[in-house]
Amino acid sequence: MAINESLTQRLRETARQLLENGEVTCVIGYEASPRGVARPAFIYDSTETDRLIWDATCVHNLVTYLHDKKKPPRRGEAPPHVAVVVKPCDSRALNVLLAERQIERERVFVIGLACEGLQDGAGEPLARCARCDERVPVLHDVLLGEPPQVTAVEDDFGDLAAVEGLDPAGRLSFWLREFDRCIRCYACRQVCPGCYCTTCMFERDDGLWVDIGIELPAKHLFHLGRAFHLAGRCVECGECERVCPMGLPLSLLNRCLAREVEALFGHRAGCAEALSPLLFELGEEGSPI
Amino acid sequence: MRFATVPALRAWLDKLVQRADLVAPRDVDGRVLYRPVSSSDEVLLDYQRPELSAKEAVLPSTEVILHVEQRGQEVALEEVLPDRQQVVFGIRPCDAHGMAVIDALFVGQDPADRAYQHHRERTVLVGMACQRMWEGCFCTLVGGAPDDASHLDVLLRQVQDGYAVEAVTEKGEAILKGLTTRKRQGDPPPPVVDAEPVPVTPAEQWRPLFEDRLWARHGERCLSCRICTYVCPACRCFDVTDRVVEVRPGVTRIERIRVWDACTSTNYRRAAGGHNPRPTRSARLRNRFYCKFCYYPEDFGPLGCVGCGRCIVACPVGIDITEVMRDVAGQ
Repeated sequence: MAINESLTQRLRETARQLLENGEVTCVIGYEASPRGVARPAFIYDSTETDRLIWDATCVHNLVTYLHDKKKPPRRGEAPPHVAVVVKPCDSRALNVLLAERQIERERVFVIGLACEGLQDGAGEPLARCARCDERVPVLHDVLLGEPPQVTAVEDDFGDLAAVEGLDPAGRLSFWLREFDRCIRCYACRQVCPGCYCTTCMFERDDGLWVDIGIELPAKHLFHLGRAFHLAGRCVECGECERVCPMGLPLSLLNRCLAREVEALFGHRAGCAEALSPLLFELGEEGSPI
Repeated sequence: MRFATVPALRAWLDKLVQRADLVAPRDVDGRVLYRPVSSSDEVLLDYQRPELSAKEAVLPSTEVILHVEQRGQEVALEEVLPDRQQVVFGIRPCDAHGMAVIDALFVGQDPADRAYQHHRERTVLVGMACQRMWEGCFCTLVGGAPDDASHLDVLLRQVQDGYAVEAVTEKGEAILKGLTTRKRQGDPPPPVVDAEPVPVTPAEQWRPLFEDRLWARHGERCLSCRICTYVCPACRCFDVTDRVVEVRPGVTRIERIRVWDACTSTNYRRAAGGHNPRPTRSARLRNRFYCKFCYYPEDFGPLGCVGCGRCIVACPVGIDITEVMRDVAGQ
């Protein structure tokens, strides 16, 4: 995949200055793996900023790594100041975490990238990027790149329609068939910026409703539970679906809930620093909520 | 060579499935997995590397290993393991190699792991040689080969219009009864071996690198998920728990289940009271590599890696075992 040279240069320069000035101790960005695709990189030294790249394979939502930066590196010290590279979708996850008081704004320097959309290995735009019309991160301290003129395909939720066209029994069997492939590796949860519980309720030693068995009932409960926990919080970065080694269409669940939340509450996760209304709003009697 | 046609092979599989549990590469919603099959129609003959290893056939991801039931004043413990013969057809040599690695601990140590040993004894491995190496493969650098017969009962190799059949063990010879074969001139073509060189650092040379910065460099991006260990043919860690199951209305028994576990996951090493001696992603990832190349060979003999390359392809954040091996070797 061809590296975007001009943006990469500006990214490296920005990172170098931040580290040299001591504004941050770490820049979380992307580097090229030995096999030629982007992967997360953690740069601590201003002489190493040339590792950073920006190209169309920079899929990872790096906001998830900020959870590791909440604690001080050594006891008695303050938590670190870090810089993080974000795309528009990633930046919405920042807003979710800010609203949920998970990160302190002043400790995070946000390097926003104007995004043209990402591509898969074959050079095709990712499905989620094809329908995305956000080109500039909602939150940034510096913006690199010019907002490109790209027209998004209007989201008609066509991917959801096929499942929603089934009767309840058909929908259940569709999902059970998908969940059956799950190996309970928890990659979807681990990669998600919104999944940060110290102990996941689906992985408790003394779990009441779900044990450790890698079996269909537990997998069913886990995926539906995770989707509900992300309702109004999921920013549709698509990472859960990307990392799934068994190809579960997890974004269908998340997109379904995101659509419902927007229709009922007018809330889109992370577009502003606001909590999910599902947790805190009670409807009047007779209201659709 | 002994030669079998595709129809002969399929007819033999259809006979086998009548009397044995048959596991074979199958298309599962677009991905190739070793799965139980009920007919030879479901069996893939032309496939690359199934996305999960075959270890599930002998170390199921979830298995009931014991029933605990109160009968009057007695507490009855009963092992519940299947007795039928199991045939794993089409297993790749690296996956059979992985079972040999697990054997060193689960069968080679006293006492043996009864459930695992039971599965190994009831299982016949009918291997299918790879004609070439797949993305990330490096089996030839850790003691394997695309057509390695060492850990198999039968080795099949693709040739013109069919397969070359080789019985490797007596168990293999026995299972081949019922397969129509004939003699044919010539030998199967050797596989194309084009693995990039990867240095395997001896176990003792890993020790001084325990505190090296390279672990933070690789480990900081680790998600602490379980993909690499679950796709691995040689990772074998498990957890055990008891659950109460209603067998009849008002009557319960306890099932003891054994479930895959992963040293990369956050809570794997957490002790009672909450202390976790591997509190960071880096410490956990480091353990996975030390287990494979230092602890396991030192304690039980074989390397804990068979070079199948699955973890490289499956890792969502680009952690690459061959890159780690190069870094450890100082290259």
